Amino acid sequence: MTDQPTAARRPSTGPATAPVPSPFAGLLRGVDRTVARGLSRITGSAIAPYQSAVVRIGFSLTWLLFLLREWPHRDELYGPGSPWSWDMARTLIGTNHAFSVLMWSDSRLWFEVVYTAAIAFSVMLLLGWRTRTASILFMIGVLALQNRSVFVGDGGDNVLHIMAIYLAFTRCGQVWSLDGRRARRAAACAAPGRDPVGLVLWIGSALVLAWATAVGDLSGFWAVALWTALATQAAWWLVRRHAPGEPRTVLDMIANLVHGGAMLVIVVEVCLVYATAGWYKIQGSRWEDGTALYYPLHLNDFTPWPALSHALAGNGLMVMLITYGTVIVQVAFPFTLFNRRVKNVLLALMMCEHAGIAVILGLPFFSLAMIAADAVFLPTGFLRWIGDRVVRLLRPARRAVIPRQRSADEPTTSTLV
Amino acid sequence: MENLHGLSYRRRHEYRSGANGHSEETGNDMEPPESRAADETAGSSPPDTVGPPASGDAGTAAGDAARTADGADELGGISRLSVTSRIVLALAVAAVTVGAAVHLAMVFLHVAPTNTLSQKYAQAINGYIYPEFEQNWKLFAPNPLQENSDVQARAEVRKPDGTLVTTGWVDLTAMDIARIRHNPIPSHTEQNELRRAWSFYTDTHDDQNRSNGLRGDLAQSYVLRIVAHRFGPHLNGGDVQRVQVRSATAAVGAPPWSTEKIDTRTYYRVLPWWAVSPEDFT
Repeated sequence: MTDQPTAARRPSTGPATAPVPSPFAGLLRGVDRTVARGLSRITGSAIAPYQSAVVRIGFSLTWLLFLLREWPHRDELYGPGSPWSWDMARTLIGTNHAFSVLMWSDSRLWFEVVYTAAIAFSVMLLLGWRTRTASILFMIGVLALQNRSVFVGDGGDNVLHIMAIYLAFTRCGQVWSLDGRRARRAAACAAPGRDPVGLVLWIGSALVLAWATAVGDLSGFWAVALWTALATQAAWWLVRRHAPGEPRTVLDMIANLVHGGAMLVIVVEVCLVYATAGWYKIQGSRWEDGTALYYPLHLNDFTPWPALSHALAGNGLMVMLITYGTVIVQVAFPFTLFNRRVKNVLLALMMCEHAGIAVILGLPFFSLAMIAADAVFLPTGFLRWIGDRVVRLLRPARRAVIPRQRSADEPTTSTLV
Repeated sequence: MENLHGLSYRRRHEYRSGANGHSEETGNDMEPPESRAADETAGSSPPDTVGPPASGDAGTAAGDAARTADGADELGGISRLSVTSRIVLALAVAAVTVGAAVHLAMVFLHVAPTNTLSQKYAQAINGYIYPEFEQNWKLFAPNPLQENSDVQARAEVRKPDGTLVTTGWVDLTAMDIARIRHNPIPSHTEQNELRRAWSFYTDTHDDQNRSNGLRGDLAQSYVLRIVAHRFGPHLNGGDVQRVQVRSATAAVGAPPWSTEKIDTRTYYRVLPWWAVSPEDFT
């Protein structure tokens, strides 16, 4: 830090020589600067816009595809015709106080409304239309169905459940969203910020919430949480309209701060998933003797393609390599975050493994959810490149009008961590 | 409702058309966070691509002045805020920091093996984690499942002539598996419903099929209702009166290259007969 090269080179022979400078000199000032810089960065803008967007798109797409796939089975899974009856669900929820709007009524109509709304909310979030509201509605939809029938889910539902809650705290609609496009257009024409759609959406939400509160269907915690969310939006709107100076700046900074905190929680959560999955395996005899992979490939529930599974299981060397590789990658992953290059290699490996799981074990939605979670670690440069490729693929005719968002000399290898 | 995300774009525009003509990016989406951090450290970038994140309407002239002062530069837009705003922001920083730390500590203690802390604060941790943050990532750990367990059921039906007849065993799991075969997107109804209902039952009952309480009773009703739904009220030309459930479990054999000997015979766990009521079919 403040070491003097000359002082460091001088041999410390006699008592007359100057004392060796402390390596801790200036440490406090350095920490001070780092904290200040970090604070400035995390309040000045919502960090990792592309990573939060890809997580948003990944999970909303997973849930949307799942709901559409289960459309013919929706009644058996979550509806009044489920073997896990509404009364049984209510009994269980009476003991754990999980939140599900499906518990407000046992009527078929209400169930159909909620299932259809859950689909609509995931489309809203996928497109990034009114992302702030959409993320909360999406969370309500996920919790409604999953908490109604907790015993039909798997690891994929579990990760989606948690991420749906985390996403509600992020500003995940800055890029790759209709909101982003609307904001760019508004900025371009500098029109006054009238927002009738937002007003209608807010009043609608407030009426439904008021009704639920009045009927007494909302538990205390969720009533406070949802009313707080609604009040925050009202405050935001008022401040934007009537106090555009410093109050708005402070609100914006706080929103960025909350977003940063939620992104941190998401990142650590994914690390905990891999750490747990990896470290617990180390104790398993089958993971030690290199045959663990052999067994799932012979479980009837997880072999949609028996010929493929048995062919893979028949290769002892392959089974051992994948068995050891899985443990190594899962245990190592959180530590590789300190080295971007190694992290990216492991990330690619994990995504490939999940893609393999989707096909071989017949768990497409679990795999998609895990890939969506992994995506939070993708480098910004890669995300921007892939986003650009997708846009060009989808809209070849309008190639010329896609705005350039960054000058060529700017670095493109940044990642969240 | 009013959207959070419009703001940053609007602000950027205001700066571009600012009175002093100084273009300043707030940089939300345009700038990867780390490149800005790197540039700030280097301090050599052109002023129109980097700079402390703007604080809105506090004025860019102040920003230029602040940039020259060392500490204020690091603080960016915060240095231009009033004392009240700084206090509000400091409180928010504290709240978010404490919130994230508490949440992550709770999740860590929930997923970690039982330890000194998680034993001591078990009640607080469970109170926080359940029901919405419950999670289990011991995927195929410590060892993967090494047996195939089929849930089978049979029924006692009353024929139109009044006689009671017992049907043969029906392998419900095998019917699920037949639907999973060669299906790239199996349904949760085939993959999870019966499998998880059965593990819910075994988790909440002892070897003598005694329930552990409310959850055990729910598990029994659940398994019964799944069987009733799949059989329907009429079976083999009679009305279903009672059903019986058993599991047939066989271990997966050792790999061909292994010298290990594994018993792969099928073992049955047979539950008592359960009476079925008309509501169980709905």
